[in-house]
Amino acid sequence: MIKYKKDTDNIVTLTLDMAHREVNIINHEVGKALLPVVQHLHREKAAGRLRGIIITSAKKTFSTGGDLDYLHRVQNVEEIHHYAENLKQLFRDLESPGVPVVAAINGSALGTGFELALACHHRIVLGRPNIRLGHPEVTLGLIPGTGGVIRLLWLLGVEKAFRVLTEGRRYTPKEALEVGIIDALADSEKDMLERAKIWLLAQVEGRRPWDRQDGRIPGGTARDNAVAQVIRQLAADLTQRQQNNYAAPQAILNILSEGSKVDFDTACRIESRYFTELVSSQESKNMIQAFWYDFKAVIDGASRPKGFGKFRPKKVGIIGSGVMGSGIAAACVMRGLEVILKDISKSVAERGKLYAAQRLVELAQEGKITEEDSSALVDKIQTTKTAADFEDCDLVIEAVFENRNVKTKVMHEAEMHMDEYSLFATNTSSIPIRTLAESSSRPGNFVGLHFFSPVEEVPIVEIIRGPQTTDETIARAFDFVKRIRKTPIIVKDSWGFFASRVQNTYLLEGIQLLSEGYPAALIENVGRQLGMPKGPLALADDLGLDMALRFENQAAVLYGPQYIQHPAVPALVKMKDDLQRLGARKKAGFYDYPQAGERYLWTAVHEHFPHHRSDWSRQKLEERLLFVQVIEAVWCLQEKVLSSVPEANLGSIYGWGFPAFKGGVIQFINDYGVVDFLARCRAYEKEHGPRFKAPKLLRQMAAAAS
Amino acid sequence: MTEALLFDALRTPRAKGKSSGAFYGVKPIDLLASALRALQERNELDTSRVDDLIAGCVTPIGDQGGNIAKAALLYSGWANEVAGLQLNRYCASGLEAVNLAAARIRAGFDQLIVAGGLECMSCVPMESDGGPLLFDPEVLHRTGYIPQGVAADLIATINGYEREILDQYALQSQQRAAAAQAAGYFDRSIIPIHDQNGLLLLDRDEYLRPQTTLESLAGLRPAFTHYGEQGFDAIALRRYPEVERIHHHHTAGNSSGIVDGAALVLLGSAAIGQQLGLQARAKVRAAAVIGSEPTIMLNGPGPASRKVLAQAGMEISDIDLWEVNEAFAAVALQLQRSFELDPDRVNVNGGAIALGHPLGATGAMLLGTLLDELERRDLQTGLVTLCVGGGMGVATIIERI
Repeated sequence: MIKYKKDTDNIVTLTLDMAHREVNIINHEVGKALLPVVQHLHREKAAGRLRGIIITSAKKTFSTGGDLDYLHRVQNVEEIHHYAENLKQLFRDLESPGVPVVAAINGSALGTGFELALACHHRIVLGRPNIRLGHPEVTLGLIPGTGGVIRLLWLLGVEKAFRVLTEGRRYTPKEALEVGIIDALADSEKDMLERAKIWLLAQVEGRRPWDRQDGRIPGGTARDNAVAQVIRQLAADLTQRQQNNYAAPQAILNILSEGSKVDFDTACRIESRYFTELVSSQESKNMIQAFWYDFKAVIDGASRPKGFGKFRPKKVGIIGSGVMGSGIAAACVMRGLEVILKDISKSVAERGKLYAAQRLVELAQEGKITEEDSSALVDKIQTTKTAADFEDCDLVIEAVFENRNVKTKVMHEAEMHMDEYSLFATNTSSIPIRTLAESSSRPGNFVGLHFFSPVEEVPIVEIIRGPQTTDETIARAFDFVKRIRKTPIIVKDSWGFFASRVQNTYLLEGIQLLSEGYPAALIENVGRQLGMPKGPLALADDLGLDMALRFENQAAVLYGPQYIQHPAVPALVKMKDDLQRLGARKKAGFYDYPQAGERYLWTAVHEHFPHHRSDWSRQKLEERLLFVQVIEAVWCLQEKVLSSVPEANLGSIYGWGFPAFKGGVIQFINDYGVVDFLARCRAYEKEHGPRFKAPKLLRQMAAAAS
Repeated sequence: MTEALLFDALRTPRAKGKSSGAFYGVKPIDLLASALRALQERNELDTSRVDDLIAGCVTPIGDQGGNIAKAALLYSGWANEVAGLQLNRYCASGLEAVNLAAARIRAGFDQLIVAGGLECMSCVPMESDGGPLLFDPEVLHRTGYIPQGVAADLIATINGYEREILDQYALQSQQRAAAAQAAGYFDRSIIPIHDQNGLLLLDRDEYLRPQTTLESLAGLRPAFTHYGEQGFDAIALRRYPEVERIHHHHTAGNSSGIVDGAALVLLGSAAIGQQLGLQARAKVRAAAVIGSEPTIMLNGPGPASRKVLAQAGMEISDIDLWEVNEAFAAVALQLQRSFELDPDRVNVNGGAIALGHPLGATGAMLLGTLLDELERRDLQTGLVTLCVGGGMGVATIIERI
């Protein structure tokens, strides 16, 4: 597990190499193995036979983190606290006896793996751009628990440490050096080990700043007024961005504030207490479920048809250079694909390319890609007006506007130039795939790909199976989506597919609340504050009220006599037809859209929807807005619109911003308790109507649980 | 029951609380000591008969730290027999000191108490004492505590007070204060402050701007927008989700001024008044303090006033004159409008918008101003109330004898 090698300069190299695992993780096992090694090193030091230590890894990565299986499972707070304190002590024993330690980071070091690196006196990283470093714990509702928060505090100061820890970014070695969490880059493994040795030989003693009398936290502590003011601002900003829904970033701020006022070891204990609180919280369990287990299930292809080799597309044709088409183009080139971007003329297509270029520059500014990349990537987009250029494309995606005739026409043009193997995909959110598939000359190779806007940012694509789409086509579409680093969700060709259909229930419920007399501002604020990206009325405006109605009409057609009209439909019709307020595109909806500045609620909204409800319960409003989504998602599972719970959970978080701290739209039920959830549905059904009626599948889930 | 009688009230002038102010460089203890000596001289006081000095101070650190009350007593040569207490109920401190003194006199525990407060905001800046409600992120998170200016803007938003209404109120405060100063209405209470050579530093309030116009007020930038954008608006909206957004209408012109000053009130029983030959001017009829919703924070004057009226067995109409601290225009306006008070009976000589708000002293200053004005107009009853940080309110009713 740990290889021990000592050279003639009394420098010991410890090489991590966990048995039966592809990567090194930091857990009890490593702790047990390291303990005698550290004790031995202490003896060597006492005997004057130890000059320095190099820690490195025999795996491709250095260490990719803690033991999530364990952290997801463990409940007992004493046990969690003990676990954190034990590992902390081990790291402390490594750094404190005065022997300098270098982390020779040969591959990615993340989470607890990076904490190990932070517990070393010096960090040298192999300068490969695919290596990732940092603390993504916050994305799982967790925080570093092995002294990482406190070491970053001492390394970077309160404000910078807060940003690094709460953004949860995985830095490239170059970025990590700029941020200041590593000390040097190496050109090769050999260079790395040489540099490590040179550094060690130059040290007299290894003392961390927090173990020195003159050690100071950069920028000062929370006792300093300037730092206290910054902390106050960060706290307010946190509420603004996350509405107090996420405990981990709040804990990070608390630890930095409280920990900066006391000595290092006391600060570490404070960290352990918050770590224990978070690990035992339902929120972190939800997030680990969604972003670790569910993500792995989906991305590993649980729903991908089996038996087809991996599809490796190189060139993608895109028809339509609007926001959607150029967004898809940007997403493709970002992942190394070549793009042929077609529109009615080359100059129109060039405009799309320009938009893609702008998006790439923005992404570079956000640090998601490098700036050199952003300009090189644009050159991979070739514009054209002729479908003949699609000849050697592995996949052609049409992203023209939502009109069946236009979509059919561009498909025919493209199909004429495509070989038998390549795929044709239509990007639509509202036109049934089968109506387009009917006129395809290669219906087996025809598939729906529902991209979400903005394409470069939303990490999910719905793959829609047409009536004759082959399994192989689905598998290849899956591979393509994965290739551009998006999460593929395979859905049935049904009204609104999955994401749009469920999202629609949220905005309809908001409109219904408005019809019932609740103040519009209340509806919007409650929607945002419970963790949705937008208020339901704002979302209705953005989607367009006609679109919201269209989904309802499609549902009416599908369910026929069984269709029960949503009670919000009259209000929608009133807005659309009587009041001619169709939404953001028409600059008039539930909001007003001034020439300059942010939109604000339509000042006359309550003349048309009188508000007379001043008695309200936040819990009820929140639950109504959330339950409708959850119930609809269960219908989707029951109707086999999609085939797995992980896809539903991730689809909901990535697709329309369902609260991540709930773990997604189905995990919400587990979080709530399935029996309680069912009981609550019954109460709401009685009070508010059949849209709260529990699908059979939910009743089965409850029966199985009780 | 022993009544708590008011024998005297005095105050220093209010100086601008910044480096251009007349008291910048003057130590806070000197202001309080000057007030103590003036009180002693005016009343020919045998200070050994005084039981206690209760001094409000909201930022009791540094030069105002320790126990500034006892420090000032020793420093100004008062008898060793006098005890000293510093207290902090935020902006209510000066009035709280009076109320506590009155309660102890009425209880028979003490005979003669000096109560008041001080704040040298130029020397010890507001919020420099820190504290969890301001700077502990977990406390902020759980309590939804926001800066007072944002809370005042929230009150204005909920009540639909547009910028112009607030500015009109501010203008009135300036005009009334200027008129009162010109007519000498403040002279009875104000004690001039000198340096150690007897050279005058200041003998009148210097913060007010008599030339203020609606136009000049309208030109001022909103003062709390940046706090709102930092995220404090979002915190406020979590508590008040019916509000679409907060309109930031308060400016430096329609909010209270940052100033330096100290004030003292001499209270005692009728018995000691007779013994020492002190003339009773009024009595403390009732006093009350309340807690209220902490995010909007500054709604306290209404409930505090209702509570104190109930305690006194009085109606709103029984009060002749009102002093409501003009921490922000919206706070004073809200009380005036919700109680349907005659504007000509509220803050008749202006308020903190024009004159300034030396946090720990203001309550005692308002009490003195009210007492002087009741006497000048020959009226009977007055009510003083202040909004208070943390979501509190304080109120006191005095009645002339």
